[in-house]
Amino acid sequence: MNVSIPNILDQIIASVPLFKPELALIIGFIVCIFTALFLEKRWRNSTFIGCIVTLGFSLYYLIGQLSTTATGFSGMWLVDTWSTYARLVVLCSTVIIAIFLQQQHSKNNGDVYSILIAATLGMHVLSSTSHWLMAFIGIEMVSIASYILVGYFSQNKTQSEAAMKYVLFGSVCAAVMLYGLSLVYGLTGNLDFQSAEHLQGLMDAPEAIITLALLFVFAGIGFKLSFVPFHVWSPDVYQGAPTAITAFLSTIPKIGAIILFARLYQSWSSTAFYFSELSTWFITIVAIVTMLVGNLAALRQQDVKRMMAYSSIGHTGLLLMAVFAYQDLNSYLLFYIVAYVLMNLATFIFIDQIEQQTGSTSLLSYTGLGKKMPILFTAFTLVAISLIGIPPTVGFVAKLMVFTSTFSVFQSSGDTGALLLLIIGALTSAISLFFYFKIPLYAFLRNSDQPVILKKQFGVLLVIAYILTVLVILFGIFPNWVMQVLA
Amino acid sequence: MITLTHFLVVSACIFCIGLYAVLAKRNTIMILVGIELMINAAILNFVAFGKYDKLNYAGQVFALFAIVLAAAAVAVGLAIILNVYRSFKTINPKNIHELKD
Repeated sequence: MNVSIPNILDQIIASVPLFKPELALIIGFIVCIFTALFLEKRWRNSTFIGCIVTLGFSLYYLIGQLSTTATGFSGMWLVDTWSTYARLVVLCSTVIIAIFLQQQHSKNNGDVYSILIAATLGMHVLSSTSHWLMAFIGIEMVSIASYILVGYFSQNKTQSEAAMKYVLFGSVCAAVMLYGLSLVYGLTGNLDFQSAEHLQGLMDAPEAIITLALLFVFAGIGFKLSFVPFHVWSPDVYQGAPTAITAFLSTIPKIGAIILFARLYQSWSSTAFYFSELSTWFITIVAIVTMLVGNLAALRQQDVKRMMAYSSIGHTGLLLMAVFAYQDLNSYLLFYIVAYVLMNLATFIFIDQIEQQTGSTSLLSYTGLGKKMPILFTAFTLVAISLIGIPPTVGFVAKLMVFTSTFSVFQSSGDTGALLLLIIGALTSAISLFFYFKIPLYAFLRNSDQPVILKKQFGVLLVIAYILTVLVILFGIFPNWVMQVLA
Repeated sequence: MITLTHFLVVSACIFCIGLYAVLAKRNTIMILVGIELMINAAILNFVAFGKYDKLNYAGQVFALFAIVLAAAAVAVGLAIILNVYRSFKTINPKNIHELKD
């Protein structure tokens, strides 16, 4: 290995073009801090415009990278289809979240945009690395930014309580993960989890220590993905946070974490040694339990945001199943991510719009609203159908792809774990029918005796939500449009 | 002679003390202290293992980054706890249960 300083500098300078979308975000982050400090008082929305321009620049540079496959910064930065498309989805959904924040929290919102950009940067780091140092920095960046976002608008008890639970649980998980990483580093002497040295070190290590180290590392990733048993924070935080922030939490942090986990699983599960078996068993058991817990607990929720929290736990189980099944083909996992993000963003915009009208997120407050807001509730029902996975929606296609590939894994290997995953996946999809259909049930089939006075509302957000709904249907009928781009 | 084992034993002890503080203490600030102990145990591990990684110094670099990130997380955590104290007049997690199933 060549360690002379000019050589290293040359390498770094040569890798800078790969880092352009992130550089745009870093510059935008600093610019947004200054506009929030100095310009926001004179020109309202100047920070919002700065944030959108930053995301636009980042998107522009990212589109330039679409066909690149390269590594930079001595193997710490990976640019491939996974990372590029994941970052594309992250950026597009961040734009929607920024508009969401601007529409619903128009006062005192200056710093929120710079924190949003920092979280996006963390997601970019997570989705394009196979180095533990970068992965840990990415997870911490996203976590710290999300703690601030949850607590930023806190005015009442529930919001500050949600922020506190999030910060304590997140910090403990990060500390446990760091300890696990230190053990992994000690066992292997190398921090790149795809390198041969790293795998060799894991093969030679004693079983007891490796079990401990791997489970500790999975704890940190599990917190970001909120799979069982690290899911306990998510219902409370989803319910307590403002709806715009909940929309952020339920979509964007999961994209980067699932990409990291998929890379990790892909490189660790390929050998015949103890740690591969352990990761395969871990992902199978956790996916099964996560689907069961998420969907069963959602059945008895009366608050829509809490119900969506459990529903997104259930979807995490399916994402894990996708990671389990598609080790070589990456487009299916990305398709599921796109479908999940579309559905969740649309759902939370609808929940927020109804909250603006009735001031409540309880399911009971939806009683009889279907006749007063027919278009909104029709679109909401369509998105709910997609979340269940009924044709002709994108949710159906995504689930179908996951199930067929798990089935082919079962056929080729005869693995009981794959069969169990299939059975539980199908079962929980049927269960999810009951709680998602509570929404149209209350809205259309029950009559309320309390008259609700509706404000006339036709905002940008509603338009975005309708576009997302149309996309949910269109991608469900023509999944090839997305698949051709991703393949 | 202090060997690698000594460092590992000390760091495992610190980690367990931190975990105990997180699980048993009834004061949010003490929980943050416990988290800090856990992070420092990991940092000690990294530096100890880094001695055998002469070429890259990955352990030392990781330790530096971990210290910075831990400080940032604690700063945010304290601000949020202050906010909780303003609305609840307590920081005992047992008494803060507005959100539950």
